[in-house]
Parts: sequence; C-alpha cells; structure tokens
Amino acid sequence: MQIKDYMKKKVVSIPITSTIGEAATVIVEKHVGILPVVDEQGKPVGVVRLSDLLSLEMPDFIHLVTDFDFVHDFGAVETTRPAPELLTEPVTSIMQSVMTIEEDSGLLRAYAIMLQNYLYDLPVTNATGGLVGIVSRVDIATAILSMWSME
Amino acid sequence: MILAAILSSLIFLVSLGLIFSEKINRMIVGMAGAALMVGLGKLLGFYSEFQALASVDFNTLGLLLGMMILVALLEPTGFFQYLAVWAGKFSRGQPVRLLVLLGTVTTVVSMFLDNVTTIILIAPVTILICEILGINPTPFLLAEALLSNTGGVATLVGDPPNIIIASAAGLTFNDFLIYSLPIVIVVWLTALFLLRFLFRRELAVRPRKMKAVMSLDPAEALHDRKTAQKVLIVLGGAILLFFVSHFLHISPSFVALSATGVALVWVRPDVKKTLEHVEWSVLIFFAALFVMVGGLEAAGVLESLVGVLERASSIPPVWFGVIIIWVVACLSAILDNIPITIALVPVIQGLGAAGMDIIPLWWALAFGAGFGGNGTIIGSTANIVVATLSEKTRTPITTKLWNKRGLPVMLATCAVATILYILVFPLYSR
Repeated sequence: MQIKDYMKKKVVSIPITSTIGEAATVIVEKHVGILPVVDEQGKPVGVVRLSDLLSLEMPDFIHLVTDFDFVHDFGAVETTRPAPELLTEPVTSIMQSVMTIEEDSGLLRAYAIMLQNYLYDLPVTNATGGLVGIVSRVDIATAILSMWSME
Repeated sequence: MILAAILSSLIFLVSLGLIFSEKINRMIVGMAGAALMVGLGKLLGFYSEFQALASVDFNTLGLLLGMMILVALLEPTGFFQYLAVWAGKFSRGQPVRLLVLLGTVTTVVSMFLDNVTTIILIAPVTILICEILGINPTPFLLAEALLSNTGGVATLVGDPPNIIIASAAGLTFNDFLIYSLPIVIVVWLTALFLLRFLFRRELAVRPRKMKAVMSLDPAEALHDRKTAQKVLIVLGGAILLFFVSHFLHISPSFVALSATGVALVWVRPDVKKTLEHVEWSVLIFFAALFVMVGGLEAAGVLESLVGVLERASSIPPVWFGVIIIWVVACLSAILDNIPITIALVPVIQGLGAAGMDIIPLWWALAFGAGFGGNGTIIGSTANIVVATLSEKTRTPITTKLWNKRGLPVMLATCAVATILYILVFPLYSR
C-alpha cells in the first residue's frame, strides 16, 4: 500500500517562468485547486493554490472587521478585479512553499502529514525528486477506508 | 547637586530618545527610567521613594482608568461600528458627505472617550464602507485621525495632555468648554476645509456602488443594544457630573471612577475580559513618567530651566504663549506629547511661583500638545493606528503621504490657533 498506487498520475503543473495570469488560466481550464510549480528538472519548487489567487481579489476589510454579517451587499467589491499589471507578475511572487511526499510512502503517513500541516493536496515525487503525481485527502482517505470492507 | 542635575537629565533625555526610536516599548523604557531615577536619587540623596510616589498624579491616572473601563464595556457592544455604519448610510455614498460625517462622529466620540479606541474601532468599518463604495479609504482614515486629534483638545477628558494639564492647573471641565471649545471649533473647521481641499481629487470620484451602502443597517452592526444603552446612560450621567463637579467640589477622577463603579454593577461583565481592554501599559507609562519628572524636579533641573525662562520674561506674555504653542507643537509632532506635557507642567508651575500669570500658558501648552500631534505619521497614537491599519490594505498610508496631507493640516491648525490665541489673550489672563 504505497502512495504511488493511489495517486493521480496525470498531474497538472506549471513552469517556474509562468505568470500569475497563466497560472489562473491553467487552474480554470483544468478545474484544479492546487498547481505545483516545477523547475527545469521537473522538481516541484512551490505551489499556487486557488485560494492564494482568490485572495488577490478579496476585499481588505474581511481581515480587519471581525464580523461583517451586517454587510448584505458587497457592492463595488463584487466587481473589483485585480489590476492587469498584477497578472503579468511572475508566479513566484505569490507561490507558497511546497510540501511533497515520496511515491513509496505509506497511506497513513501521508494522511497524517496532511492533517498536521492543514493540507488538502500533496504532490508526489520519485526518488530523484521529480514530480510524478498528486494525491488529495479524499484519494488517501477513501483508499484507507476501502481496506475496512475487505477484511 | 550639579552631578544630580546632569545625571537625572541624562536619564530623562535617554529615555525620551529611546521612546522616540520605538526600538523598545515605551512602557518598558518608562519603567526602567523611573527605577534608575529613584535609584540615582537615593544614591545622591536628592530623591526618595516617598517623593517619587508623591509626584505621581493619581487624579490623572484615576480619570484615565475610569474612562478606559467605561470604553472597555462599550467596545464589545458594537456601538462604534453602529456609528460608522450610520455615518456611511447617512452619507448616501457621497464622498464629501462621508468625510464630514465620519470626521464628525469620530471627533465627537473622541471628545468624551479615548480617541485611540475610537479610531481602532471606527477605522476598519471606514475601510469596509470605502471598499463597497469602490473608493480610496485614505482621505477618510487621515481625516478621522487628524480631526479627532484636533477635537480632543476641546474637552478636559478629550486627550491625555488635557487631563494632565487640568489636574496640575486646577482647570475645570467647564473651563475647557469656555476657553478651549470655541477655539477648537474654528480650528477643527479649518482642518476640515483644508482636508476637503487637499483631497479634492480623491473626493471628486463618483462611487461605483452607492446602493450597497444604502442597504447597510446600523442596527445590525450593534450586537448588544442593552449593554450599550446602559453604558451610554452612565456615560451621559458622568458627563453631566463633569459639568457640575467644580461646584460640588469633586474631582474628575472621582466622577469617572464612580461612573465606572455604577456601570460595572449594572452591566456585571466578565471582569477578566473587560480588563483585557484596559491599556495598562499606558497607565504604567504615565506613572513612570511622573516619577521621572519628579526626579528632575527634585534634582533642581526644572528650577534652572524656570530660571532661564524667567530671564526671557521681558518678552510680552502673549508672545511667550505663542512660542509655547509652536515649540510644544513641533516637539509633539516628533515625540510623544505625553512626556512633553508631564515635563513642562512643573516648569510652568515654577514660572507661576516666580510671579508670572500662567493661566494663558496652560492653554498654550494644551493647544501645542494637541494640534502638534497632527504633523507626522508618528505624531499621535491615532496617526500610528490608522497608518498601521492601512498597511493591511492595498492603499497604505506612507510617511510621504502624511507629510503632503497631514503636515499642512498641523501647520494650518497651529496658525489659526495662534491667531485666535492672540485675539482672546485678554480673556485668558487675569
């Protein structure tokens, strides 16, 4: 029971030279929530999350006002888009550090790492550190659960 | 005694420098400075623990503590949010109206309550309103800080320097309403019109979504109407008592602390949570400064300063006051105005003992300390608060921006205050 038997092998990633706008386009086209950023050798160097991209458009006040239940209409914020200059900036400016797992790792270990680090997706690497797949919490959890009924 | 004077001045000046550098928290500097001062005093025999305790003005501390607890009770009710949302709705999304309303609300509230708390609670809602309108929040944040600093000069409880001055000079709540409020109204209007002019471009922008602001309901922003009502009733009672405290021979600190007692009994809050909102570090900082300045006084430093100033008494009294306004204003723009006020109080008292009419000088000190704080981004705590909050947004307020828009306001308010001071000077002097 190793990660490589349950991971998604068709992993969508972008090169480190991409822009924020390109990352957004790939995320929309492939309908994914996380995008590993890889260097020339195909090694993951960071991730761009859907939530990181979205925070570029979120209003500032949600971090400043503890409760905004009384705001029923976000008004201008609903139609505010990030500045076009921002989208041409390199993806490295918003990418976060990446945590990966080796393809021969056990399932429970992978799940525990995700729990502890509040992760929902984990890029999988081979022995040389190259990106070979990706697993989600649901992938791992359902794989573990499926063992139960087999016994 | 010369050694005592030199060393005690050194302790005070180094402390001021450290507070200015903002490398170490001001309360820590104050505490260490006060301990050193008493230690030096004991060693050289010019200052004792008893003298140190006696130099702490407990009237100032009591009044501050009382008002802080009252605000701490009001804070979680959402009352401040309620006011800001009301201002937003009533402005119907017109930027100029919004500026006037938010500025007025912040000023009026901070005339009676701590203006830092007021700003901390109103500024985030200001950013919210501006964002849903689709306009830049900078003019509004700057106006709130500048106008509340200015308005705070109007009342005895509006600003810490006023509390210190009133306590030392025996000025009453009504004295402030008679001698300060009218001048502050004119100065405040000057500041408002100047802000309107300085931000004319930003304020000319037509908001994209006025309807969103109209749909806000202030009542929804008020979480705990009952507690808010109770605290406001007690606060109203306290303000009424402030008016008559002079005739009843009760001190403002007694009024504030008994109002706090009544409010605590009536609301019966979670004490631990309420006291968390009290700025203990400010109270300790004040006490430490009183102890340090007491040391300077005991070492004879202030006496010699008074001597130097006395020699300058050939200057007509009115110009002496004008000089105080500007010197204190410039000092307050770069340094904390609280240590400046605490240090100057005994100096002015010394001039009084030497026969000078010092009532006009107290007012000059209050105006300088109050309006001077507008000059720089670090001039007052309210300025620091709006700047820090704005750093978390896409439109941060920078030092450069403050120098372009805040400094002119300080210069204009001090200039107008000076003119009015000269005009009403005969009323001040007895």
